[in-house]
Amino acid sequence: MKSRKRFITDKIYQSLITLISLIGLVILIAVFVFVFNKGSSLLSWDLLTGDYYSTVYDGYYDSELTTNLFVAPDDLDSDTYFSTRWGIALKDDLDREGHDYILIVYVDTESPLANLPDKNNEGEMVYMASGQSLDKIIFSDNTIMLSSKGAEAAISQFESATGIKDIMFTTAGKGIRGSLITTMYLIILTLIVALPIGILTAIYLHEFAPKNNKLVNILRRMVEMLTGVPSIIFGLLGAAVFIPIVSTVTGTEGGNLISGSLTLAVIILPVIISSTEETLKTIPDEYRQASLALGATKSQTTFKVILKSSAPGILSAVLLSIGRIIGESAALIYAIGTSIKDEIIVTERSTSLAVHIWSVMSGETPNFELASAISIIILLVVFVMNLSVKMIVKKISY
Amino acid sequence: MENAFTINQLNLKYGEKKALDQITMDIPKNQITALIGPSGCGKSTLLRTLNRMNDLIDNVRIDGDIRYEEQDIFAKEYDVINLRTKVGMVFQKPNPFPMSIFDNIAYGPRCQGIKDRKVLQEIVERSLINAALYDEVKDRLKESAKELSGGQQQRLCIARAIAMEPDVILMDEPTSALDPIATAKIEDLILELKKKYTIVIVTHNMQQAARISDNTAFLLMGELIEYDKTDIIFSNPKETKTEEYITGRFG
Repeated sequence: MKSRKRFITDKIYQSLITLISLIGLVILIAVFVFVFNKGSSLLSWDLLTGDYYSTVYDGYYDSELTTNLFVAPDDLDSDTYFSTRWGIALKDDLDREGHDYILIVYVDTESPLANLPDKNNEGEMVYMASGQSLDKIIFSDNTIMLSSKGAEAAISQFESATGIKDIMFTTAGKGIRGSLITTMYLIILTLIVALPIGILTAIYLHEFAPKNNKLVNILRRMVEMLTGVPSIIFGLLGAAVFIPIVSTVTGTEGGNLISGSLTLAVIILPVIISSTEETLKTIPDEYRQASLALGATKSQTTFKVILKSSAPGILSAVLLSIGRIIGESAALIYAIGTSIKDEIIVTERSTSLAVHIWSVMSGETPNFELASAISIIILLVVFVMNLSVKMIVKKISY
Repeated sequence: MENAFTINQLNLKYGEKKALDQITMDIPKNQITALIGPSGCGKSTLLRTLNRMNDLIDNVRIDGDIRYEEQDIFAKEYDVINLRTKVGMVFQKPNPFPMSIFDNIAYGPRCQGIKDRKVLQEIVERSLINAALYDEVKDRLKESAKELSGGQQQRLCIARAIAMEPDVILMDEPTSALDPIATAKIEDLILELKKKYTIVIVTHNMQQAARISDNTAFLLMGELIEYDKTDIIFSNPKETKTEEYITGRFG
């Protein structure tokens, strides 16, 4: 009877463990599904590579419109309207902020609109291209087209027009290229600073420092403690220390990529030190002894055997750090600022993807869709990094 | 008969615990000297003192002296790195580095600054041939040493030691982690190596000591009880403790 009871209790425990782990799994999957659901509609190559700021072009067309007719491309959707006389296709759409606008879907290469004289700069040209939005036109008979009337009305006005006094169109904007590049810069600069210091510190603590030394143990405790400090505190440090230093050295003002990287380096340093030291602990003492018995010096042993054997572990530490760098927002708000930029210069302000999400969400009208789309990109970046590190580890480990 | 090592009045303490007590013995060149005795008798400690591997342990205090080729190895200005290139070591558990077979053997010469690929290739091949491993691994020198069998790994470790062209090879129970067939191969190899090298081997396998060694030292509780030609130790020991140990009455 007793063994039957034990069997049942065992089964109950097993099912409990399975159930609870399932709950965790479901929550994680739900997060993914939510983000993908919200953001996938905005996901596009243009979002990745586009400028954040849109540029307004202002042109005119005062020559005689040639009589040849353009042919609509075959792949136009049914809700797209085509002007055979001007060779452009338009469609109603919602922008990344959720407002109505007229999207330019197609501009024939021969179309008179493909290159127009610039209204504001004599002798310059402006170029209309697909992906831009059409804002306003004043035709030569003084009729006005407004984007609020919709694409169909605009096309019918085009079909009867002979010349254009003023045409305004805008590049898409709201792209995240600048923030993506900033994030990449941050990862590279931060790792360049933090990796050598972190790895060498861990090597000192584990291989060279005297064993059971009080001071060394206190140092180790402090490093461990630092891994738990909220990053916003490091952000304050960055604002108070790194920004002034970098500003003085480079002669620029305010937060910049370098001060941001230095702050992030301080944040990930304890992570790198701790996980590298954990890896060093797993390297069997036999390797050290074998190396020393072959007449290798201590530093040869450390760099040729110990460090080489711990490379997979150190790479996981790097991966952890990259995750931390990509995900960091609080500290960066102080250390580089929140201004989104298109042209990235390391000594100037710009912002990472995580802070980009923050600014998208903290405006007067929070944009869930755009934030989710950026989140998907962050997830993808982390995923790709993960895969490549795993592949490298597989390559280098014996 | 020339001596590789002359050990005189050697005492060694781990903290307060005495591990070696007044050891005095000579280790002759180009012979196999076996150190036997029960666990904890100090035989491994003695072996590790010969290439100063005990330096790595904290709290070790040594007095007395060991002369290697007439030089005091504990002298302040003595070059330990150089000693270890001349006195190689093979450990109890096969411990190849997590690298390719080639890199394992080339490791020691590379640490000495040899970079020429051709020279390294030659050293690796010669060492593997001398360690009777070449035929088994010649087609996979680039593969991980960790994929070899235990016996092959141990022969690789011997090849790695030979690559340094040492004069002495210290072996710390080199076959205790191996099966009988691998053990037999290593023993054959040791007998072959004797022609070129001085070998000091720690073993707790008395048949092994009897089979391969020329001299045998019996240690007990850190003291050298008896040291003589192997056939005398095993056939006609002078001390009763030695007799009791080799006939299996204790240990």
